[in-house]
Amino acid sequence: MESLLLYITALLVAPFFPAVILKTKAFFAGKQGPPMLVKYYNLIKLFRKGSVYSTSSSFVFKLGPTVSFCSALMVLLFFPIAGMPPVFSFHGDVIILFYLMGLGRFFTILAALDTASPFEGMGAAREAYFSTLAEATLFVVLILFYRINGSLSFVEFFTGPQAINMLGNHGALLLLVVVALFIVLLTENSRVPVDDPATHLELTMIHEVMILDHSGPDLALIEWGSFLKLFFYSSFITCLILPFKTGSVFLNGVIFLVILSLIYVAIGITESIIARFKMNLVPKFILTSFALVFFAAILTMEYVK
Amino acid sequence: MDTFFLSLALILFGTTVSVLFNRQFIFMKAATILAITLGSAVGLTSVFSFLYQTETVQIVSWPWLHIFTLSFKMDSVAAFFLVPIFIISPLAAFYSFHYLENTAESVKSAVNYLFYAVLVVSMALVACSNNIPTFALSWEIMSLSSFFLVIYDYKSKPTRKAGYMYFIFAQLGAMFIFAAFALVYTHSGSFAFEAFSQIPEEIKLIVFILAFIGFGSKAGIFPLHIWLPHAHPAAPSHISAVMSGVMIKMGIYGIIRTYALLGTPSLAFGQIVLVTGMVTGVLGVVYALGKQDMKKLLAYSSVENIGIILIGLGIGMMGVAVEKPAMAFFGFAGAFMHVFNHSIFKTLLFMGAGAVLHKTHTRSINHLGGLIKRMPTTGKTFLVGSIAISGLPPFSGFIGEFLIYYGAFQGVHLTKENFILSVLAIVSLAVIGGFATACFTKVMGLGFLGEPRTEAAAKATEAGLSMRLTMIVLALACLLIGVLPEPFVRLSFMGIRDLKIAGDFSPEIFVVLINNIAKGAILFIAIFVVISLLRKMLYMKKEIGAGPTWGCGFTKPTVRMQYTGTSYAASMIDFYRPFVPLISKYTGINKIFPGKTTYETQVTDIAELYIQSWITKPLYRLLQKLRWIQHGNIQLYIGYIILTIVALLLFL
Repeated sequence: MESLLLYITALLVAPFFPAVILKTKAFFAGKQGPPMLVKYYNLIKLFRKGSVYSTSSSFVFKLGPTVSFCSALMVLLFFPIAGMPPVFSFHGDVIILFYLMGLGRFFTILAALDTASPFEGMGAAREAYFSTLAEATLFVVLILFYRINGSLSFVEFFTGPQAINMLGNHGALLLLVVVALFIVLLTENSRVPVDDPATHLELTMIHEVMILDHSGPDLALIEWGSFLKLFFYSSFITCLILPFKTGSVFLNGVIFLVILSLIYVAIGITESIIARFKMNLVPKFILTSFALVFFAAILTMEYVK
Repeated sequence: MDTFFLSLALILFGTTVSVLFNRQFIFMKAATILAITLGSAVGLTSVFSFLYQTETVQIVSWPWLHIFTLSFKMDSVAAFFLVPIFIISPLAAFYSFHYLENTAESVKSAVNYLFYAVLVVSMALVACSNNIPTFALSWEIMSLSSFFLVIYDYKSKPTRKAGYMYFIFAQLGAMFIFAAFALVYTHSGSFAFEAFSQIPEEIKLIVFILAFIGFGSKAGIFPLHIWLPHAHPAAPSHISAVMSGVMIKMGIYGIIRTYALLGTPSLAFGQIVLVTGMVTGVLGVVYALGKQDMKKLLAYSSVENIGIILIGLGIGMMGVAVEKPAMAFFGFAGAFMHVFNHSIFKTLLFMGAGAVLHKTHTRSINHLGGLIKRMPTTGKTFLVGSIAISGLPPFSGFIGEFLIYYGAFQGVHLTKENFILSVLAIVSLAVIGGFATACFTKVMGLGFLGEPRTEAAAKATEAGLSMRLTMIVLALACLLIGVLPEPFVRLSFMGIRDLKIAGDFSPEIFVVLINNIAKGAILFIAIFVVISLLRKMLYMKKEIGAGPTWGCGFTKPTVRMQYTGTSYAASMIDFYRPFVPLISKYTGINKIFPGKTTYETQVTDIAELYIQSWITKPLYRLLQKLRWIQHGNIQLYIGYIILTIVALLLFL
């Protein structure tokens, strides 16, 4: 019951954190920035509107937002937020969860192609390409975790006596993993320097250009889904960093939220100080993350014998 | 095994009768399909009664030609491989009812059905063969009957070329297989399969490599896969479905059989198979991504899936060698599961492509588009097939891939090169999965969604009833296996029963794992239903408009502005540039008033390129120098024969 409450809370607070990024960026730009609840206003506005559908599109176009939102909901159901046990978990759940996110992506891409717009086709091709590279990184991270603590589920990774975090035996390796996961986070959530959702030049965009034709509640589902996805990746990194577990649930939660916010601030700082890469350099950027975790995985060869 | 032979007799008898009555076109088709269905049903009952009643291995043998013995054996591996044969064959035959509808070519269709029946029977016999001559005989009948099926449309030149190529590769493969068998025979002096395990250890490795190359050429491992993308598009679609879904798996069967017969858990076997599997899988999917011809793309995707199966087998064989029962068990079980799954979704996809080809007369994705509105059933079933083949839950493809992943993760605790190989296996599975998603979003998104690019695509109509029904059945099967995987996973567990790879390893706790995955899939579907209902509620009493796609300032968008398959794949292909050379032809703008210019790019297959320039051409040049031997003078030819016989008599 507690986990379910926590889960619902997570769903509700996820749209808050992107505002932290906006505030950070505003700080760097010397501006005041939008109100902290700006994403909620957006969502509410979108939910109240109707939609316009392209005459080129079919039922697949309408499936896209729902499937991608559902896959984000699924992932958080299995994730131990703030070290609390998640609603569901079983051995091997990480593989099915990453593949469910793949399913969400599959439908997002199809929905983009369904509009027959050349821009959206371009975005779709990039999304398919970059996320494949990011997925390779994620699987090496899983290999590393499996080697460290012999499990294949989020709960076993982050809770219990064998929990993986930077205080453990493999703290140094996790530093590489954190950096790599941060790169994956930037890629999968279409942040600068991989993607720039703020520009209105379709040629430079990836994710935003794929959802150009969505409107109303459909768009709200996509947005909310993307907040959840960002929340998931940030929590993933937070759980790796989280240095100690206090006895009190409340204190744990507070520490979790602080580190989580710091990660969002880090995203904001990254976005403020780095320009978007040229598209042909992005694969190299993502492959850096792969190289880092692969290196970390190779380093374990001496440990476990 | 009597029921098994009865089923084969039924299939052959039915089609022979129908060939005699080929003038009554509809009757002929109906009779053939009935015979194949009945025969397969009888065959399935015999297979399942064997698998589920845990009967002991059955052997039947007859002496033949005084020298050979025809010997057949039913064990769990054979029984498992018979399942897709007896399930897919009748479905493909049923599909052909509306697919082959040219009454003027009724004789051709009748002959096609005859060879089809021979193919089905010979595949079943290959799976059950129990000694070298029986196996060789069945194998050759299988290759030859499928050759005749490929050249169905023999009047077109590319088809004849594809048939020729298939023939060469089939015989090349057979040559290697027979070389392996011959090597066993020289060391054991026996035709029996049991003799394989008695030959010296160092010979075993050579035998395995020879057999692996031979069977690999049938299965389509890199670089022996190049007949697939030629033969599959040339054959009629239900034939490509059976060839790709079932026949190439006989190559996999051969590899497993040889491995089991040799009975040596050498680490090298597993490593060879695993590395080949990774190369085959990754390059297969990259080439698939680069193809615009729908059936060629599907053929390359078969190469990719063979790669996935080989990764599973390699993991399994390594698991046996390092004595990790869980790794061995999951590797083999995953490979078997993927064999079964691939036979279903690849058949479905080939049938979808066949329906599109039948109605639009084009296979090029760049000439299609918007088909889902014109062919709703084909489109929806093709969508299901695309998700399944990309290995995404909650559909069937994920189950097999999960098992292989799980096996590979067991190998992560190994050391040195085995650790690296396991890591690479997992990474290549992830990369293959990602690119497969890209590949099938391309076919689905650009071929079936969006706006039609050509007149032919705009005027397409829904496929015939028998075609639609088969596709619906197969699509439902994909969903069923994804949501209720337990009986099917148990089937693959039973398939590896007689391999005795994992000792007394008990899979029961892992059935729980599989059921958890199923629960995850059901949970996802439940959430999906709830969210869809919520979405419906949100849209109640709201204004829903329709308009053109936002064109970013373009007032008159044309359908030709859509992204094409070529551009969709371009950047991903570019990533693999050394392996995927692009050949582009550009006429250029070179006059003051330029005329028509053309630009053309083609993705080439390095295996094809290098086999051509390093093997075929030098060989051709060498043989040209020997042409004087063949001059047409019959007396001299007789002289050659006499000389040869004399020489043989003297020296042997």
